[in-house]
Amino acid sequence: MREERHYQGNPQKNSPALGATLAFLGINGLLALLHGSQGCSTFIRLQLSRHYKEPIPLNSTALQEDSAIFGGWDQLKKGIGKVMDKYQPQIVGVMSSGLTETFGDDMTSALASLHEERPELRSHPVVLVSAPDYIGSMQEGYQRTVLALLSTLLPAPTSDLDSSFAHDKSAVTGMKDAADPATPLIALFPGCHLSPSDIDELKDIMTLFGLHPVVLPDLATSLDGHLELEPAPVVQGGTTLEEISLLPQAVATFSFGLSMHKAGQYLQENYHVPHYNFPSLTGLSATDALIMTLAGLTKQPVPAKLSHQRSQLLDTLADYHDQLGGKQIALALETDLLYSLTTALIEVGAEVPVALAASANEIKNFPTGIPVQVGDLEELEELAGTTHLIIANSNGRQAAAALNRPHLRAGLPVFDRAGYPQKIWIGYRGTQNFIFDVLNTLAV
Amino acid sequence: MFVNLSKLDLKETCSSADKGAPKLCLRALPGEGAERSCAFDGARVVLMPITDAAHLVHSPIACAGNSWDNRGARSSGSQLFRRGFTTDLKEQDIIYGGEKKLFQAILEIAAKHRPQAIFVYSSCVAALIGDDLEKTCARAQEQLTIPVIPVNAPGFLGDKNIGNRIAGDVLANRVIGTKDPEAPKVPLSINLIGEYNIAGDLWGVLPDLQNLGIRLQSAITGDARFADVQSAHRASLNVLVCSKSLTNLVRTMERRWQIPYINASFYGIRDTSQALQDIAAALGDPALIERTKFYIKKREAVIRQAIAQYRERLEGKTAILFTGGVKTWSMVSTLAELGINILAGGTQNSTPEDFLRMKELMDPTAQIIEDTSSAGFLDIIATKKPDLIVAGGKTKYLAHKTRTPFLDINHGRKLPYAGYEGMITFAQAVDRTVFSPVWELLARPFPSLEATR
Repeated sequence: MREERHYQGNPQKNSPALGATLAFLGINGLLALLHGSQGCSTFIRLQLSRHYKEPIPLNSTALQEDSAIFGGWDQLKKGIGKVMDKYQPQIVGVMSSGLTETFGDDMTSALASLHEERPELRSHPVVLVSAPDYIGSMQEGYQRTVLALLSTLLPAPTSDLDSSFAHDKSAVTGMKDAADPATPLIALFPGCHLSPSDIDELKDIMTLFGLHPVVLPDLATSLDGHLELEPAPVVQGGTTLEEISLLPQAVATFSFGLSMHKAGQYLQENYHVPHYNFPSLTGLSATDALIMTLAGLTKQPVPAKLSHQRSQLLDTLADYHDQLGGKQIALALETDLLYSLTTALIEVGAEVPVALAASANEIKNFPTGIPVQVGDLEELEELAGTTHLIIANSNGRQAAAALNRPHLRAGLPVFDRAGYPQKIWIGYRGTQNFIFDVLNTLAV
Repeated sequence: MFVNLSKLDLKETCSSADKGAPKLCLRALPGEGAERSCAFDGARVVLMPITDAAHLVHSPIACAGNSWDNRGARSSGSQLFRRGFTTDLKEQDIIYGGEKKLFQAILEIAAKHRPQAIFVYSSCVAALIGDDLEKTCARAQEQLTIPVIPVNAPGFLGDKNIGNRIAGDVLANRVIGTKDPEAPKVPLSINLIGEYNIAGDLWGVLPDLQNLGIRLQSAITGDARFADVQSAHRASLNVLVCSKSLTNLVRTMERRWQIPYINASFYGIRDTSQALQDIAAALGDPALIERTKFYIKKREAVIRQAIAQYRERLEGKTAILFTGGVKTWSMVSTLAELGINILAGGTQNSTPEDFLRMKELMDPTAQIIEDTSSAGFLDIIATKKPDLIVAGGKTKYLAHKTRTPFLDINHGRKLPYAGYEGMITFAQAVDRTVFSPVWELLARPFPSLEATR
């Protein structure tokens, strides 16, 4: 076993508050407010901005020295009031930081006190997320934020009758408020391992099965990088509050990534929407699982387009099996992406001697045989010396250079290669893309 | 406010009542949307370019995890400075204190990475839980043969500027003069203070210094080895190149080691020539002064010719300027060199002196950007409709949404713009973005995409 270290060397982790910001960026008309000092929000904006090549609207309560003595409770109240007055967002998303968690600022009572003083602000929802650094990485902050959005905007119904009614209505009449009443609604909860284009691909697959997808959060319309977006201090694109209110009417919830399981369970437990979790969408088995579930749910045959894509993937697997077989690949990623890519590689005959997760929360759920452990990029550098390929975010470049190994970028941040937010690595077509990216990186 | 920082010459910077002036001594308001970063960021900007040192951040993951290796400071030697080290403080550390962990981390990093020194940065959380950085670093240093230097600039102390100053104090008190303290001054030698070798800026200036026979004692801290900075006290002159944020450092060096200082900018032809002349004059060597006169004429002619084709195309174009530090004002004359008029200028991270100088240099009709939030920035673009936006990476993608040519002049850039050669690179970069064929493509009419979305 490796020696215990008391530091992170070349961290692959991002802060949970960054993950929280990311989830908030998928909600239309939202203004995100970080309760912390100014640097906290500046670093997050820079990090997300250099990955997505997009402006990142994120505000801060700008805590300073005196807050260390008196706490940041008043600053938080002022901050929420100020952003509501100045920017008129439809919804405000507030996340705590390591600093305010250490003070122990009670965000709930600050909000209640603000509402007491200014009752007119009650009409605009405020979502509070506790995202202290020690809960893990980006993924944990994102997960908590999705849960906080659900519990704030779709609170648990007070009686069982309400919730079963909400669901029955949808099952019988389909979606009441959607554009096409005959199209049943499906709730999708993507993890933060999916790119905006992955989410677009998912929506397309749902549409092929005659479903109307509502995605929470929907980065495919906010962080996908399109120029029609009006530059603005609040989130443009993303899931609307109206769409979120429709989620209890969904015929099913699909959650993607181990970390999103809880979000799917929330809707099932409180609104009786059947929940299916897909830990991965990359690889033949993973995609088959999604497609077969959809076929079963909709009682429809698999659309010809998807069958054809599957056949194309099979052909690729046959053509390149020899180049993939026995290749040793070292990965360091957030757990959901690590799970997806590792299982997809092992499925085609590659070997994964090194699998380093950014945080510990889901690694117990990995299939046996994957040597997954929590680790930073300094460990990647120590362990990947005999492998053929490194898969990690752009910060893995130091390890790759030191070991003189090819480096396929994945995860976040990727700032030194073009087009990562636009990459599709899910579904049959996306799996094929992923395998080509692996092969082409190996060939360099 | 800032009571414990009064020794850092802050009072003088609080006088400006001008609209749009950086509010250095006013606190940022919660929810205001200003983008001013924190004291920790300011300290790391100054110290982290020291290439053969390890930089350990004593904090939860947010401070280093989101920011390590994200600046374009370049090194001709060791790459150790690019590594991200953090104690990654967890719940247990917050309850029981993080000193033990920090102590172990310092020893482990020293053993594994063999740095020439370790800088240990405090953070909001470390300060709040009362970890004694000074004592822990001293204890660790006892077991090592290298300096372990505490940098006490937790983010909540204030803006980036405060952190710059604290880092300057650290350099003055813990680094400079610690090697050969009694050694004599090196004749015709200078320190470039506040030159971080972003995108290799320093390397664009060095050849001209060498050609003139001026010796670079150290750059503080671009492409600097720790030992270079230690012997910075041997320079005959300090040249302060990046804003006034390290004024405290040059003043201390003047008092302690009798090194006079001048301000200079190496952005643009005029400023570069002025800088070389000022350096020569301050060094006081008659032959050098004479040499420099001829040299700058020759170089100016060469560079002006090289950029003539760009100036011809760019003459009369308009720009909005939004940056910090020395670039606040030096970009005004650099853009003027290309015939570009500035319609509006603003700043967030510079000192009031830099701001006033920008105001002085700009055409009186140019507007000062008062609301420095994203919203204010967008308003200005919408009203002024400039041909070019010159700003930092934070505003880059926002600017692109307005379909306006954009030039990143801050730490995210890939190209060196300093010195004479940098002016050519700068002119080419401006030309490339202003005349890129994509702006015409972006403006083409097309049926709205709304229907298909």
